[in-house]
Amino acid sequence: MSAIVLPGTTVPAQHVNLKLGPGLIQRTGAGEAGPSIISSRAGTLNHSSNGSKWWVESNSRRYVPAPQESVIGVIAQKVGDGFRVDIGSAHSASLDGLAFESATKRNKPNLKIGCLVYARVSLAHKDMEPELECFDAQTRKSEGFGEVKGGFLVRCSLKMCRDLLDPKHFLLPLLGARFPLEAAVGMNGRVWVNAKEPKQIIAISRCIEAVDPDNGGADEAGVKALLGALDV
Amino acid sequence: MSRLQGRQPHELRPIKISFDGLARVDGSARFSFGPISALSSVSGPIEVRLASENASQATLEVLVRPLSNVPATEAKALAATVRALLTPSLLLASNPRSLVQIVAQALVSSKKANANAVTAAVVNASSLALLNAGSVPMRGVVCAVAVGRRKGDGGALVVDPDEGHGVLDAEGCFAFMFTRDGSDTQAQCVWTNWKQGSGDESVLSAARELAGRAADDVYAAIHTSVEGIGQAEPTIVLSKARSEETAMEAIVDNEESDDKMEI
Repeated sequence: MSAIVLPGTTVPAQHVNLKLGPGLIQRTGAGEAGPSIISSRAGTLNHSSNGSKWWVESNSRRYVPAPQESVIGVIAQKVGDGFRVDIGSAHSASLDGLAFESATKRNKPNLKIGCLVYARVSLAHKDMEPELECFDAQTRKSEGFGEVKGGFLVRCSLKMCRDLLDPKHFLLPLLGARFPLEAAVGMNGRVWVNAKEPKQIIAISRCIEAVDPDNGGADEAGVKALLGALDV
Repeated sequence: MSRLQGRQPHELRPIKISFDGLARVDGSARFSFGPISALSSVSGPIEVRLASENASQATLEVLVRPLSNVPATEAKALAATVRALLTPSLLLASNPRSLVQIVAQALVSSKKANANAVTAAVVNASSLALLNAGSVPMRGVVCAVAVGRRKGDGGALVVDPDEGHGVLDAEGCFAFMFTRDGSDTQAQCVWTNWKQGSGDESVLSAARELAGRAADDVYAAIHTSVEGIGQAEPTIVLSKARSEETAMEAIVDNEESDDKMEI
């Protein structure tokens, strides 16, 4: 069931273990029939099959940090023991120098300004600046987080990033079948890609822009036509 | 009652909405009542200057650019107005110490006769840009319409006046915040600049009620346009006015209007 909702629309979400996802807020109904759930953004209203999880699916270009999300950041500054990282949100995030796998006080990573890091948001509260970590919290191993070298950073909308992270989406397997590539998808609207030849990197970047829902959302046939035109 | 283009008193000029997809901002939209058009863009929540930082909520900044010249007093007054009437609809407390910046561009030169229509178009375009951006939580959608009272015709109230200079003796713009519960739409008047030379409060109440009904049409147009928000080409939503003549004159992108053109 997906209906278009505008902000201020009351949502009939009722469940014993109700969980509200992005785009829904609970208004305390003073003097009325009690608290009501209203949508806070424009998009399609979705819910899980048993009605316990509700959310509003929409697209936007501006990232608002949320905990446990993987993001791609650009080192902006070295401060004391750590770094200030630009993740595209209103505030810069802080990345501690010791928040890397096998980092000790004597063995800190030497990141330069302008380096790209793939990190996980460990703390995202509206009143504090976000904090990043470059390892998995349980295993304390890097699990792919850390500095990413080489390659190219592509900017896209937030829905595109969520689609790229979906294993059932067609784009990355389609490109991967043509040439070997590496990609790190950040939830903050940034995707790092790397391939052997610059031509292939440009092709990946153009395909991501074409499939982006903000630019029309090309489908598989459109991407194949584009790749044919790019001669890759 | 003879209005231009044979419009009824409660009828708006054809509404055109498109989401422009401006490159460097988070959301943008264009709204027009007939030829009165405004373009608005939203960026936020973004980094804020330390001087305008607010520890408990986001700072809302509105800039209005007239069609020609640098922003002068009228533009700054309009910006302060738009800021005041959009604030109740935004949940600014979700993003403290950040900035939500709205830049509105009037696409017609602002004359005294169409000042209220331009205000309404700017407000509607800003609401649409906020819906397009999707990054600032909102608790309702603000829609605005202009209303005027004609000198003759026993002081009849008309919506979206394009009567020209000297025909109206009272006019103003009304803004409503819309929320919806099921199929029931609630509108709450959040702002007006109604000015009348003579008459009592009943004129204001009547004007507000008429504006509320017209604002319903604006809200319905906005709802329709949101469905086409992600398309590559700007989606043009036309609110077909009730009279056929207006439908024929309106610029079209739907196939069915071609039949009407042949009449």
